[in-house]
Amino acid sequence: MTTHGGFEPVFCTIVPPHVLDRLAQHADPVLAGPARRTLQRDAFERTHRRLTTVIGAATVAPRAGAEAGKPHRTVYDARHGTELPGRKVRTEGEEPGRDATVNRAYAGLGATFEHFLEVYRRDSVDGAGLPLDATVHYDREYNNAFWNGEQMVFGDGDGEIFLDFTVALDVIGHELTHGVTQHTANLTYYGQPGALNESVSDVFGSLVKQYSLGQTAAEADWLIGAGLLAPRVTGVALRSMKAPGTAYDDDVLGKDPQPATMDDFVRTGRDNGGVHINSGIPNHAFHLLATALGGHAWERAGQIWYDVLTGGELAQDALFADFAALTLKAARERYGDGEELEAVGKAWERVGVRTP
Amino acid sequence: MRIQVRRTGGFAGIERHAEVDTAERPDAGEWQALAERACADGRDTPPVGVPDGFSYQITVDGRTVYAADPRLTDEQRRLISRVLKEGA
Repeated sequence: MTTHGGFEPVFCTIVPPHVLDRLAQHADPVLAGPARRTLQRDAFERTHRRLTTVIGAATVAPRAGAEAGKPHRTVYDARHGTELPGRKVRTEGEEPGRDATVNRAYAGLGATFEHFLEVYRRDSVDGAGLPLDATVHYDREYNNAFWNGEQMVFGDGDGEIFLDFTVALDVIGHELTHGVTQHTANLTYYGQPGALNESVSDVFGSLVKQYSLGQTAAEADWLIGAGLLAPRVTGVALRSMKAPGTAYDDDVLGKDPQPATMDDFVRTGRDNGGVHINSGIPNHAFHLLATALGGHAWERAGQIWYDVLTGGELAQDALFADFAALTLKAARERYGDGEELEAVGKAWERVGVRTP
Repeated sequence: MRIQVRRTGGFAGIERHAEVDTAERPDAGEWQALAERACADGRDTPPVGVPDGFSYQITVDGRTVYAADPRLTDEQRRLISRVLKEGA
């Protein structure tokens, strides 16, 4: 077996830890060096992951002199590589540059920050002015956007199926809401709690967009990722909260697999146990509630969801029924025994989630 | 050598799958070397990914390893994009 010779990453998985321990103590630095680095890196990643799971991501102090209640945005350019965060290209207060992707990411971070601050009095993702970082132009033809636990990352899309992921404001709102969830309920990203995590991101992603457009629940399109699909794709968006399962039906992409009710709940091990599939169910419940109440969805429906997410009672491994029960409690606490409470109960009933 | 790649998750939650049989390829040696290095760094069980990150399953001649964004090695990234692009 080769234990050195340039393929250092091989140490990561095929060499057992006890062998690494031995190698790390070896007199020959050629053997000891990589083993030590691997142990350190593994320990760091493991501790980092554990801390992120247990207590949420570390809070980065806002830069000195930064005002509370103002965003602290930084946009980075990966220049089609995969090193994060990449080269700094725009910081808070700087004028727009020539790169439209950078400008959209910066504006989207701002719109999301404003929504959480003005509607829910939340100062950034962690409620304490966390700087908002985003990297654009990640990798080549990269058909995705994600939250890595500390920042947002956007691909340019391949132009064939997906366009630039910064074109949809709800996608930016969705990613930052993953940060809010991580700093609050910290829902486990697997199975039903994972689908709730996804759904909460869709709900607030959509609300960020509705808020910026000043739309009522009746006026909103309730789509996630509208404008993201390339022209040749048969579809309007990636998900529909109004009618889950109808966002696209395309020869290359296939058909939108989202269920709207528990009758069609999908059991799968893929996609972290179907987190992007079964999120259709709580998404639809939110849409039903918001449209039943009418007016601006971020006001009462959004407030109830926000109260549950941040109230401290939502368990990390919460199931749909646990979440639903807490929305009833939140509705009663905030609005009493009125139309809100009744509408929340009806919304869950219509998607087949039983409440007490 | 038969190399299969399955990608799941991602913001869109759309699954993609492709495979390459290196026996039909003039550059079989290059593919095999890349696949071996990519698999050497793979995991036996799916790693916990990040929200909306892609998860990957790489199967080479029946043996499957797992990986997830953004923690891919360069070889894994190269193999995955080549198989998804050039494979059937």
